Amino acid sequence: MIALIKWNIWQKRWGIMWWIIGAVSLIFMTLIFYPTFRNQAAELQRSFDTLPDAAVQLFGGSTDFFSPVGFLNSQIYFIVLPLLLGILSINLGNGLIGKEEQDKTIDNLLSKPISRTKLLTAKAFSGALILLIVSVSAALTTIATVKIVKLDIPLSRIFAISLICYLLNLSFGAVAFAISATGRARVASVGVSMTVALGGYLLTSLSGTVKWLSTPSKILPFDYYRSEEILQGTYRWRNIIYFICLIAICGFVSWFSFRKRDLS
Amino acid sequence: MVETKNNIAIEINDLSKNYHGMNKMALSSLNLKVKKGEIFGYLGPNGAGKSTTIRLLMNFIQPSSGRATILGLDVVKDSVAVKRKIGYLSGESAMYPKMTARQYLNYMRDLHPVGDMKYTKELVKRLNVELDKKIGELSRGNQQKVAIVQALMHKPEVIILDEPSSGLDPLMQEEFYKLLEEAKSRGACIFMSSHILGEVQRVCDRIGIIREGKLVAEQNLLNLASSGITIFDVTFKDRVDQKALKNIKGVQKVETNGSSATVHIQGDLSPLLAYLSKQNVSRLETKTMDLEELFLHYYQKGGGSK
Repeated sequence: MIALIKWNIWQKRWGIMWWIIGAVSLIFMTLIFYPTFRNQAAELQRSFDTLPDAAVQLFGGSTDFFSPVGFLNSQIYFIVLPLLLGILSINLGNGLIGKEEQDKTIDNLLSKPISRTKLLTAKAFSGALILLIVSVSAALTTIATVKIVKLDIPLSRIFAISLICYLLNLSFGAVAFAISATGRARVASVGVSMTVALGGYLLTSLSGTVKWLSTPSKILPFDYYRSEEILQGTYRWRNIIYFICLIAICGFVSWFSFRKRDLS
Repeated sequence: MVETKNNIAIEINDLSKNYHGMNKMALSSLNLKVKKGEIFGYLGPNGAGKSTTIRLLMNFIQPSSGRATILGLDVVKDSVAVKRKIGYLSGESAMYPKMTARQYLNYMRDLHPVGDMKYTKELVKRLNVELDKKIGELSRGNQQKVAIVQALMHKPEVIILDEPSSGLDPLMQEEFYKLLEEAKSRGACIFMSSHILGEVQRVCDRIGIIREGKLVAEQNLLNLASSGITIFDVTFKDRVDQKALKNIKGVQKVETNGSSATVHIQGDLSPLLAYLSKQNVSRLETKTMDLEELFLHYYQKGGGSK
């Protein structure tokens, strides 16, 4: 299994490098301008406080954009980084088994003494590891840049939000992985997991204004990722049980459907 | 070789496959035994069920009923153990285009460790594999050579080949056949699907012909000449009485063209000779059946079923 993970990571090494460059650049370039905003924070905040409620809900129900927590949340962790890592995660979840099957390279892998369970596990670990590498790079860049621009946020909260952001994206990838492992078309895998990701964001955002949306939004992962609460230190940690359960269910579905099905 | 339980490499019992949503069986109650040290050719046109059989043996797809064993191990339940003993090569070998051949072989070796690197090096040399070129930059034939090395490098006891020589030039084909013969002399069993009859006749000891998912013939190629089917090309002075020819005992097939007839007869020739002795025959030629004729015999409408 180690060999499979090693070669999977090796095959994706250039892709990983570009994702790291993208994430690191985005975080650095965004946070480095914080001192400019900090000097005008009070004035900017006043103009944002006049936003209508519906518009505020699209920003997660908060108009705090210029305090240290508000700035980091609105510029990085509320939507930008989850979206970026979500694309990576869905792409990995969809491709790790799906592309091998589509290209027929899976035949050669399974002609070697490797069980399907082992192949599936190795693929899942590879995906989780690649996402972790990029997430850790993003977290380290955030920590370093926060220090440079003197954004006053405890390191523990940056660790916490990095972990939960990782779990959120891992759950998107797990959904894509489970669908591709059942042998469904790759486009279905991307479509469903993107719906889970973006639909979750929209439902959760709008549920502040449209009250009846708050129930369906609870089904989707984004509702359990409360970036502002994490950065403020008021996050209820039991929310991560949702991510763990969703990832476990997707893992089981992947294993159950892949272990004995016909390869295309 | 006498068939005993110990020298059977592949045993297939009532193996069937029905793909979801298809009315017709892709493979229907296949029964087959292939011995150790034997090269078995599995013949049939596209869609006959050759690849389905191989994919079942490789556990890429699940049987609808029946079972198959390789070296006594169940291909479904003991799939991993079976694959320790197998080398597999597909004619449509899909590899990673961005890897070099060397990297690809290292990857495959990590997944199925090779004790003796000397043999891998020998294969690379004999097949003239370009190790440091990216697979995507290699020609179809050169890609196939890489695939052959990965299939044979661990000296498998059973070699399963699905249209193996596609893309190879004649020189490399010859080298590939030598490799198969060497594997056979080591005691390996080779199960090879093909529709290149010349290749099959060149390397195989025995063949099976599959038609519409059913095995319609098994034939030892060493005894093909004595298979019992004799072909008569007869030219009559008068019109050919096709019906009378068809009614002769042992006649399998009659094709007529004007005053000429080609008659396939199995077994005793005397009823046909007796009939011909009463006719005005101007020319008579006989030949024994070769593989191509055997194949066509089973593939033309009304060909025999096992």
